[in-house]
Amino acid sequence: MSLSRSPSPVPGGGWTSPGLNHHSGRTSPVNLSGGPVAWDSAKMRNHNINGYPSFAPQQKTGFFARHMRRLSSNLPRFANSSSPYGHKGKQARGPWYGPNGSLAQRIRSLFGRMGRKLKMRLLVASIVLFCIIIFFNSPLITYWRRASWGYGGEKFVIILGANVGGGVMDWKGAREWAIERDSVRNKKRYAAKWGYELEIVDMSTKKRYAHEWRESWEKVDYVRKTMRKYPNAEWFWWLDLNTYVMEPSYPLQRHLFDDLNKHVYRDINEYNPLNITHPLTEIYLDDEAQSPIGDNKANSLNLLLTQDCSGFNLGSFFMRRSAWTERILDMWWDPVLYEQKHMEWEHKEQDALEQMYTSLPWVRQHTGFLPQRKINSFPPAACDDGTGKVSTRHHYNGDERDFLVNMAGCEWGRDCWGEMYHYREFSYWLNRNPWERFKEDLVAEIWFKITGKRVKL
Amino acid sequence: MHFAYPPRKSSNPPPFRLRPSNLPLRRRPRLRTVLVVLFTFLFGIFLLSRRGSGPDPYHEHEPTGNPPVVIVTVVDPSKFSGSYIKSIKENREQYARKHGYETHIPNVDDYDLVSHHKSWSKIMAMRHALTKYPDCKFIWYLDQDAYIMDPTKSLTSDLLDSKTLGGLMIKDYPIVPPDSIIKSFAHLKSDDARLVVSQDRDGLVSNSIFLRNGDWAKFLTETWLDPLYRSYNFQKAERHALEHMVQWHPTILSKIALIPQRLIASYTRASLGAEYREGDFVVMFYGCTVDGERSCDSESQLYRQKWQTAFQAS
Repeated sequence: MSLSRSPSPVPGGGWTSPGLNHHSGRTSPVNLSGGPVAWDSAKMRNHNINGYPSFAPQQKTGFFARHMRRLSSNLPRFANSSSPYGHKGKQARGPWYGPNGSLAQRIRSLFGRMGRKLKMRLLVASIVLFCIIIFFNSPLITYWRRASWGYGGEKFVIILGANVGGGVMDWKGAREWAIERDSVRNKKRYAAKWGYELEIVDMSTKKRYAHEWRESWEKVDYVRKTMRKYPNAEWFWWLDLNTYVMEPSYPLQRHLFDDLNKHVYRDINEYNPLNITHPLTEIYLDDEAQSPIGDNKANSLNLLLTQDCSGFNLGSFFMRRSAWTERILDMWWDPVLYEQKHMEWEHKEQDALEQMYTSLPWVRQHTGFLPQRKINSFPPAACDDGTGKVSTRHHYNGDERDFLVNMAGCEWGRDCWGEMYHYREFSYWLNRNPWERFKEDLVAEIWFKITGKRVKL
Repeated sequence: MHFAYPPRKSSNPPPFRLRPSNLPLRRRPRLRTVLVVLFTFLFGIFLLSRRGSGPDPYHEHEPTGNPPVVIVTVVDPSKFSGSYIKSIKENREQYARKHGYETHIPNVDDYDLVSHHKSWSKIMAMRHALTKYPDCKFIWYLDQDAYIMDPTKSLTSDLLDSKTLGGLMIKDYPIVPPDSIIKSFAHLKSDDARLVVSQDRDGLVSNSIFLRNGDWAKFLTETWLDPLYRSYNFQKAERHALEHMVQWHPTILSKIALIPQRLIASYTRASLGAEYREGDFVVMFYGCTVDGERSCDSESQLYRQKWQTAFQAS
């Protein structure tokens, strides 16, 4: 320590000239250890150029701040550091540093005075705490969920078709913006939670498509573009804007892909609203192409989609990166097919896919169907057969905690925003945390029983 | 020089040094404990990482090459004389026997064409051959108006092996003559080529093509047979359908090797394409009529003797 400067007065410490006071004969521990600290604080304040003279009394506020020193110096202390209990056997423990030792010293001495049993217990407790923090409160869990060696989240990309009909052709109103905001936020949270990638694509009517044959065929192009953008991803999940992930706690892996064969049906005869003849029987086809279930291996499934009451539905479907997928994306739009069929193809890609599925054996062999409610539940207003009954095949069921709602066709005469809002709130309600459940299901109910009044907690 | 004061001591006496503490962790590690901890740790990592690996990735069936090539020809006995058809069949069969290949020669009527042109049956025959010989390496479709003239030439070693084919491929060249803006791929490796075709004056020669067995071959033949292609009334039916697919779909274009016509399809008519010269592998009477002066039957007479003597000599 350099002594080139004269030391400054310290409140409570008096004149602590370090060169002089160690001869002063005082043996109180206050002074022994207080000296250097006072010197440090004096130095600090000298460096602090704040316009005040360095000996200005420090403005301490509060009772404890002002009287700390007096209070603490009245406390009993064990100056005899070597053996607080007088036992010779405890000599090995660390010395007592008093309240003014450095933090590390104090911890060390505290540790030295602990029993071995307590130490072990503390160790176990801290390890448990450490693990909890690491796994649930740190980016590590996200990292693990994303990693291909971990839970494999980066192998999934969600493609969300946003901005439908916006852009050049149409101004969006407040409701459209609200739908978009909610839908995007929902997918963002879901993707972030499980470490998936989210690709939001702009479905606005573009000039490139508006005056061409290919109007509103962007889905195919966007799937292809996204595949190029995420070269490490395996599965690509297309979602229309009017969808809502009702159960964000379901990871796709557990929900579907860990045991794909259990969920998928390949034989379209299981549910066949289009009456497609299946399997094919042409004599020139091999057994696999003539089989109703292809090779029935999970790894040969490259397209997973659902059927609603009127056929294929492309509001929510999966495609796996593969040579097959490249081919089908390439064949999806063909001018010769389009020229013959565009008057009939009301749903564009959807009808084209149905056409391909019907006529091309190689498409059938790698296509799998999922039960609709697995990834694509409808609200009761869609696929309504007129009776108003809720179908167990198509319609969302809250009790069974369906994964996703697709408000298909809500833009034709239904209230998209109303449905979106309803399902959003319902999803929040279903996924309340335990504290909210306690408040709302127990406390509020008891309160209701007692007072007869509903309260919102 | 002197000092007014004796040199000052530091006012910061060094703190007492800690004795070596007796923390349990500092004791000599026991081998067994270390092993148990290590094992638990590795097992945990294994459990965590096991989730990521799903089922094995998909692999298409790898043909073993038995037989190496299947020669496919669709014959139409209702149109042509029995002797002509017989000579066609014999020509293919003798050649195949010589090299250990197989033949698949169905009649047009074997396939249900609905109402479409008969020439669509060639694609069905190709697809059928893929079904019948799942382990063949190549399908060679050779139409019924052609003879193999050179029995010594082996397909696998003189044409389709990667080195020879690599040297023959015409790259970055308009795929449909004369001036299609779609050009054959410049960076295609011969092992990745799945369809080997040639051009005549008008377009791709769909009467003599080589198809490498695999998922792509099924994809091509089944797509080619798309009912909407068949119903579109392409002027030259399946031939124009192929040209259409090649020009519109990069997944097809990128697997096509274009080779000079005389290697696999020399014509007897110079006005239609490369003319047959002595020593060429194949002669095609492309454009021959069912009957009349330039019927396939009479035109084939000129070459029947030639190939028969050549086959006997070799």
